[in-house]
Amino acid sequence: MKLAGIIFSNIYDDTMGDLTRHRTVASLPFGGRYRQIDFALSNMVNSGISAVGVVTKYNYQSLMDHLGSCTEWDLNRKNGGLYIIPPFSTGHSTVYRGKIEAMACALQFLYRTPAKYVVLSDSTVICNIDYEDVLESHVASGVDVTVVCNRAAPTFAGERRDLAFRMNGNVVTDVLTGCEADKKLYGSMGMFVMEKEKLIHVVEDRVAHGFFHFEKDYIQREFINGTIEIGVYEFGRIILRNEDIASYFKNNLRLMKESVRSEIFNSNAPIYTKVRDEVPTYYGTQAKVDDCLIADGCTIEGEAENSVIFRDVTIEAGAKVRNCVIMQGSHIKRGAELNCVILDKEVTISEDTFLSGAMTAPAVINKRRVI
Amino acid sequence: MLLAGGQGSRLKVLTEKTAKPAVPFGGKYRIIDFTLSNCVNSGLDTVGILTQYQPLELNAYIGNGQPWSLNHNFGGAHVLPPYAGSEKSEWYKGTANAIFQNIHFIKQFNPEYVLVLSGDHIYRMDYSQMLDYHKEKNAECTIAVREVPLEEASRFGIMNTREDGSIFEFEEKPEKPKSTKASMGIYIFNWRLLKDYLIEDELDADSTNDFGKDVIPKLLADGRNLFAYAFDGYWKDVGTIESLWQANMDLLDENVPFHLDDDTFRIYARNYANPCSLIGKSATIEHSLVAEGSTVRGTVINSIISTGCTIAEHAVVKDSVIMPNAVIEADALVEYAIVGENTRIGKGARIGAKGQEGLSISVVGSRRRIKDGQVIYNAAQ
Repeated sequence: MKLAGIIFSNIYDDTMGDLTRHRTVASLPFGGRYRQIDFALSNMVNSGISAVGVVTKYNYQSLMDHLGSCTEWDLNRKNGGLYIIPPFSTGHSTVYRGKIEAMACALQFLYRTPAKYVVLSDSTVICNIDYEDVLESHVASGVDVTVVCNRAAPTFAGERRDLAFRMNGNVVTDVLTGCEADKKLYGSMGMFVMEKEKLIHVVEDRVAHGFFHFEKDYIQREFINGTIEIGVYEFGRIILRNEDIASYFKNNLRLMKESVRSEIFNSNAPIYTKVRDEVPTYYGTQAKVDDCLIADGCTIEGEAENSVIFRDVTIEAGAKVRNCVIMQGSHIKRGAELNCVILDKEVTISEDTFLSGAMTAPAVINKRRVI
Repeated sequence: MLLAGGQGSRLKVLTEKTAKPAVPFGGKYRIIDFTLSNCVNSGLDTVGILTQYQPLELNAYIGNGQPWSLNHNFGGAHVLPPYAGSEKSEWYKGTANAIFQNIHFIKQFNPEYVLVLSGDHIYRMDYSQMLDYHKEKNAECTIAVREVPLEEASRFGIMNTREDGSIFEFEEKPEKPKSTKASMGIYIFNWRLLKDYLIEDELDADSTNDFGKDVIPKLLADGRNLFAYAFDGYWKDVGTIESLWQANMDLLDENVPFHLDDDTFRIYARNYANPCSLIGKSATIEHSLVAEGSTVRGTVINSIISTGCTIAEHAVVKDSVIMPNAVIEADALVEYAIVGENTRIGKGARIGAKGQEGLSISVVGSRRRIKDGQVIYNAAQ
């Protein structure tokens, strides 16, 4: 076992508004039947990682419910498996503020895992990546930390402080946080590979010095001090950055493109999720469906266009849904019309109701609301 | 004890390389899922699955029983193939012999009652209610029966019962049926009694070692307490191409009292981590079931599309059952047909047609490549 994994489930919770009011950003539903963490977890499992720590802070009930005994990801193991790491606050520490403090809670996990290297990952970047390849590059280059990046730099919405790198060939010439998007920059995908012993040392040392932010207080600060070698691993395939509600909405709809679908969903490296034993979806005699992603367990009697429809959704005859993301268990009644709307789970839209947002600013209806 | 060793030869090409209980059904299930889910939903925690014919796919499918919550430390799902013993080695000769050969398996659990089932019917049944009936009647053996039309009764094993439900006679395919209570092949036995009869049956050289033909008649002859348990829910034998097609179509029929969608009694199946279905711009889907992982760009009417299928642009699927991971290429027409798993129907090919006299279903087996433009009517290819 060369690699272990750590997933941060709460980082960037505050960028998703009401969608993360009662859940972690990791357990935010995405793509019709998944939650964001499924991509991070499946990537790790498909890369042969069998010990994964999921660091949580608050709101993690939905996450625990989703992960369960972890059989779907083959992580119910005697050696390794899944570790849920809630905040460990004793005396000197309170609930953590950044990834370094978060990893201070995960130190026991790190001490115990026999892996030599560790992958750290957020759960807001959706892609299908092989970490074995990243590790190979990390080991070959001999750097302190390898950051997985792509060429389209993040837009740095809201409070996010993603890293971006200016490069000269293979050499990092500048490390930025929170800058404007720039095509020449390499944008961090929030995935890092480090040697475990080094990571433990960094965490212990930074915490002792009162630092908490992994990107700013470790990578950027050490770069400025000239005491770190950074490797940038360029990931050339499609990624979807769910940075805020607008990009989350757009990325859901992008999954319908064959080029995106085939890159993210690869039968050699499938994305696993909790199995809910839903029945196949029924399409009625008046159903009209154009360009939609539709999960199991739905009843579609009405019209749907350019929408992502999660499990167990009912669209009654005469209802129309366009450019929407409709989460599990929602019910759209006869004559209702929706355009550019995100319905959280188990929302009911009453008969003849009209709701519309804009493509750049979708309307969000909170969980279990009746409109 | 779930008998899953049958070949199902009347399903022709569909069971060429797989046992009948492993044949796909209803978009994301296999036939055995219904019986297995019944067991779990009835509160059974130990199920022996007796396999014999082409067991590879079935064994792999059942695995450790996790999809049905049958992965227990004690009990759970056990796949029981015939084995080589120190004295003799033989195949399962009949249904009773299959249980006889696994007496030691059952002994480990020392049960009071044993439920014997077959894994090739589509139905939902709470066996715990049947067990309650068995206990209430103080029966030694209870057989589930369902009413069949009198004119069809001569095709079944018929139970003739007294008013209190006790069985006084069993007739296999009687010419002049005295009752319309047909055996469903579901038995509850008192284990101690069954064990003795199985041993006795095995010693009888004239016996065909079959429950219906040998063990039940012997129990009746000995004056044992046999009761019929009436079941009036949906039940379908899917032993032929026509009945398999019809049972799939029943899932679309509102008038048939059998719906997959029942949260209190779910049907469980192994899951293959497929993404959501992609329904393209050019797609038309009417009155159909489409399971996850499919891509539909053509026309689907009154059909069952299973997990991972592709229906290309301008392809038409009508009144058909498309099994998992099949591909129907552009401009192909499939009607009144069953298309097997992983089969590819080439561009412009035509499969099936409504028969001249009544229904006649065309079948294409698993892992076939049907050439572009090929025409196949009512043939097992």
